[in-house]
Amino acid sequence: MSERELTYGEAVREAIAEEMRRDPRVFLIGEDVAEAGHPFKTLVGLVQEFGTERIIDTPISEPGYAGIGVGAAMTGMRPIVDVMFGDFITLTMDQMVNQAAKAHYMSGGKIKVPIVFRTTLGATRRSAAQHSQSLHAWVSHIPGLKVALPSGPYEAKGLMKTAIRDDSPVVIFEDKMMYRVKGPVPAEDYTIPFGVAEVKRAGTDVTIVATSSMVAVALGAAKMLEETGISAEVIDPRTTWPLDKQALIDSAKKTSRALVVDEGYERYGVTAEIASVIAEGAFYHLDAPVKRIGAMDVPVPFSPVLEDLTVPSEKTVFEAAKTLCGKA
Amino acid sequence: MPTNVIMPALEMAQETGKVLKWLKVPGDSVTKGELLVEIETDKVTVEIEAPASGILRDVTARAGDVVPVGQTIALIFAPGEAGAPAPAPSAAPAPAAVKAAPDVLAHVARQATTARAAASPKARRLAAERGLDIRVLHGSGPGGAILAADVAGAPSAARPEAHGVGTVWRIMAERMTASWTTAPHFYLVREVTVSRLVSWLPQARKQTGARITYTDLLVRLVAATLARHPGVNASWKDGAIVRNADINIGLAVAIDDGLVVPVLHRADTLSLAELAARRGDLVTRAQAGKLRPADIQGGGFTISNLGMLGVDAFNAIVNPPQAAILAVGRIADRVVALNGQPAVQPTLVLTLSCDHRALDGARGAQFLGALAELIEEPLALLV
Repeated sequence: MSERELTYGEAVREAIAEEMRRDPRVFLIGEDVAEAGHPFKTLVGLVQEFGTERIIDTPISEPGYAGIGVGAAMTGMRPIVDVMFGDFITLTMDQMVNQAAKAHYMSGGKIKVPIVFRTTLGATRRSAAQHSQSLHAWVSHIPGLKVALPSGPYEAKGLMKTAIRDDSPVVIFEDKMMYRVKGPVPAEDYTIPFGVAEVKRAGTDVTIVATSSMVAVALGAAKMLEETGISAEVIDPRTTWPLDKQALIDSAKKTSRALVVDEGYERYGVTAEIASVIAEGAFYHLDAPVKRIGAMDVPVPFSPVLEDLTVPSEKTVFEAAKTLCGKA
Repeated sequence: MPTNVIMPALEMAQETGKVLKWLKVPGDSVTKGELLVEIETDKVTVEIEAPASGILRDVTARAGDVVPVGQTIALIFAPGEAGAPAPAPSAAPAPAAVKAAPDVLAHVARQATTARAAASPKARRLAAERGLDIRVLHGSGPGGAILAADVAGAPSAARPEAHGVGTVWRIMAERMTASWTTAPHFYLVREVTVSRLVSWLPQARKQTGARITYTDLLVRLVAATLARHPGVNASWKDGAIVRNADINIGLAVAIDDGLVVPVLHRADTLSLAELAARRGDLVTRAQAGKLRPADIQGGGFTISNLGMLGVDAFNAIVNPPQAAILAVGRIADRVVALNGQPAVQPTLVLTLSCDHRALDGARGAQFLGALAELIEEPLALLV
């Protein structure tokens, strides 16, 4: 395996470019994706290589181009629909939930919708309440949609390639704060299977299940915990659906304590679902209630000081894990 | 505003309470916490404290009245407060105003000790696996919750001993605990000369051709004595003494798994040879673990013989719901006074353990006396 490093953003671009070279049916559609190379600069250079026929700029109308994408997918193409901010999936909901997620089922399997909705999550970019939400729980709720949450450059490339090759609709949420984070990414072709969690760090005292941006937070907290004599296991589900329930349960059984960290809202959130999976599957092995930490249940504030308070941090995860282990 | 004195709810399903007696009369000055009125439910009698200080007035429920729970039965006016008409009755009883009588307290205390302990699921599972009672463990978790570490740190003395017990042992433990903790025991001890019994045994063997034992002889004699003292062949059941219709004698038999008590049903109707045969069969099957439910049911009286193990005398625990159990020691030559002179004779010490709810000392003693006489002169069987 190569020792090469890429940023998270470069990894996404490489995955898309490789898949577009590999499969002429793959195209990308969205706002500011061509000449602008995307506001987060993740798509720079793609229009030069693939032209405006396959990297398509649209007017500002998420429902419109999302519908174009779903229709194209139904008729044999493999579109990537770029939704600039995760907050805007509110505009694409009908196409995602009522069309893309249902067509295969309602056509008796005759129609496939191999579409990728590419969007973002994550706060602390000072983008205020309408551009800072992490709404992946909304779509994780819907049968018929798969949801991937890459937690680093390696995952960004591997999960994107799997998403493009998958015959089902996939929503992939990239953490917009991680685009410049670097990490090893193999130059070779590889994919990451959906529904397979990865143990990012082995431990014995407490399991920290973390998604997307929270994996790095959990790993930082684990390092702090280690100094206090607590061995934390960090596990990344990588996809909220399909969900690798068994891996989460097994880890919680091993450590007998579990903490679930996700940047979405806590109430009715991804943390709630994962906590219930663990509580049900590992009940007789748990020595403490399963603890959840998500985004504070408020609109994300614009004030930097306040915004930082609304999302889980290494410190809050560290404190919560310590309390779980009875060492608060 | 005057304070309502209301009929309290002392039990979950209680709908009414009866005023037994007012301890204060209208116009009396009462102090908060002072005993005010006696209330009776169908289960308990309690004294209710005054919920406030002031003057007692507007007593609407008199002694003997049965009143719905929650209804105001009197008012207490603060000093200086005008005696206004009674306000609408309060729906909710004020538990704080209830001072429970001792039996209620005992009930509450019992509930407290049997309440589910706060414990993590893992701690609960580990405790169960190790046979530990989680309620006796000290919890180090939030709010005193018992955690896995508390189970691991529990006195490990229990662990080497805690090789799981079988059903037989568990039932023995439960039944003996029930008996010991509910049946008030007393013991009657009598030393019996067994010269006649000793000489009787070879004759009985010779005549029947059966392998008769002292136990068989004792069963025969106990059965005959029970027939004449049916009060001993009885049980205490729901506040009454129930006499058994048949004379069914249980024999305590030690087996590998614990203690079992197979029953010789209608022992009084069996000949010695029949008794010996049936006893032999029961003991053999008990030791092989092949007893059937019918073999251990219906016992009315039990004999436990440890004589063969060299025990001189012992106190047995009554085998519930039976009224009595006879503990039999070994036959040994002992010095006894005979016609003013020490003499050496074979004797046996019998100890009758009785449930005092079903038997008293005199009745137990009469039975034991009759049995002793029969042992000393078995010919009385013929009388």
